[in-house]
Amino acid sequence: MASIKVQSLRKEFVTSDSTVVALENASFEASGHVFVSIVGPSGCGKSTLLNILSGIETPTSGIAEITEGDKKARNGYVFQAARLLPWRTVMDNLLFVQKDRDAETRERCQRYLEMVDLGHTANKYPGQLSGGMQQRVGIARAFSIEPDVLLMDEPFSHLDAITGRSLRKELHHIWMETRKTVLFVTHDVGEAVELSNRMVIFGQGGRLREDMKIDLPFPRDPADDAVALTKANVLRTFEELDLVAS
Amino acid sequence: MPRGLRRFWRSTRTARAISIVSFLVGWQLLIPLLPTALIPTPFEVGEFMWAELRADTLAPETVYQAFATSLRRLVTGFGIALLIGIPIGLLMGLFKRVEEFLHDFVVVGLAMPSLVWALIAAMWFGFVERSSIITVILASVTFVIINVSEGVRAVPKDLLDMGRAYGTSDLHRVRHVVLPSLMPFLFASLRYGLANGWKGLVLAEIYASTSGAGWTIRFWYDARRAQGVIGYALFFMIFALLAERLVFRRLSDRVFRWRPSQDQPPPEAEGSVQVNI
Repeated sequence: MASIKVQSLRKEFVTSDSTVVALENASFEASGHVFVSIVGPSGCGKSTLLNILSGIETPTSGIAEITEGDKKARNGYVFQAARLLPWRTVMDNLLFVQKDRDAETRERCQRYLEMVDLGHTANKYPGQLSGGMQQRVGIARAFSIEPDVLLMDEPFSHLDAITGRSLRKELHHIWMETRKTVLFVTHDVGEAVELSNRMVIFGQGGRLREDMKIDLPFPRDPADDAVALTKANVLRTFEELDLVAS
Repeated sequence: MPRGLRRFWRSTRTARAISIVSFLVGWQLLIPLLPTALIPTPFEVGEFMWAELRADTLAPETVYQAFATSLRRLVTGFGIALLIGIPIGLLMGLFKRVEEFLHDFVVVGLAMPSLVWALIAAMWFGFVERSSIITVILASVTFVIINVSEGVRAVPKDLLDMGRAYGTSDLHRVRHVVLPSLMPFLFASLRYGLANGWKGLVLAEIYASTSGAGWTIRFWYDARRAQGVIGYALFFMIFALLAERLVFRRLSDRVFRWRPSQDQPPPEAEGSVQVNI
């Protein structure tokens, strides 16, 4: 079982004339089949946290690690933009992140493309696909390495409302099926309430402000009373914590 | 008008053909009215070119030999320019200090008329093969340097980060992210470097050589044979068109087949650097 451990994490960015603190004394743990949303206003260090966990950036101090048993876990990462290699086909984009390139791996990649309904695009180039399709390729890529943990950084924020909604449903479905640990960064409280069973709220200066459970049955319809009420409650918490930009 | 005829009339190809034909007819009709014998009719030019193509010539070299000699010099010179330019361009793109150190020299190099390089090479090295090749190097190397260094700076960092997040090796990322993203820039340096190198080469052959296409056009100039000069100018055009169709376009279609559609700007239009003098 994969587990995420963040302890007294601090990250500062030093430029020639100033030091910006992106994360300050952040601590939380998560493991097993959970969907954790990390919510907060822009510039609260949400994305930085994922970048540190995935190894793109290094922490200034503290611990941020994802383990599977006693070894390092394998992470899938879905970015805000699809981040596909435009000069490689969809299939080659999935193969780019694989350890092996054998027939078995190919078959697995094809299977995950079919999971997001894009099996027929394996030999197309990303430029031939719509934005929503590209994002789904990004999701297939993340799952195709059969990760222990899935990191997602506002994966639906660039998409139109309808595409975003159908992809959220798809993601929920896949999460139920694969039973992965998901760490999902978003600034959209509605999205977080709809998808996650735990919500971690960050405030300005990268301080962890609130860590709450969301005990509602799945699937959650945003129009449902209980879901709408929870969303309103979370937004009220935001106001109480003074997180809403004035 | 019947439909087929109308389509024929409206096609851009027809318009181009009509423009060329009317130019030639106008030229042929105008010449006898002029009080000079130094302007040949298109027929005379055609006659000259046809004789050249049959290797029947008064010049010491046939058109095939002349162009083969020049092409050899161009390829040698540009090959050396790539060997020098790519490492310098990489260093300039990667390190700000190197960029600051070399920037002004590169800009001057880009702006320098090829004629100056040809004259300097002729003055220092004289009538030897070296002069022409060195002119090609000087006229093309800065195009390689500037395009490669711009290309390095344009390597998509978000894709490199993606590769890193998935734990791919450095070599893997260089092969699948860095090199493909450099291709449009290498292509631009190929096109503009070769074009400028070629202009320099022709001048170098005029001033400091006893063979090649540039020297042969000089031969016809000295012989006061206008159809020779104009005929050779047309051979230059044909040579450039063949290079474009047979080499560049095919290479570009192959390398950039991932680009979505045909009606987009040409590959090197993106971020490439061109200076025309």
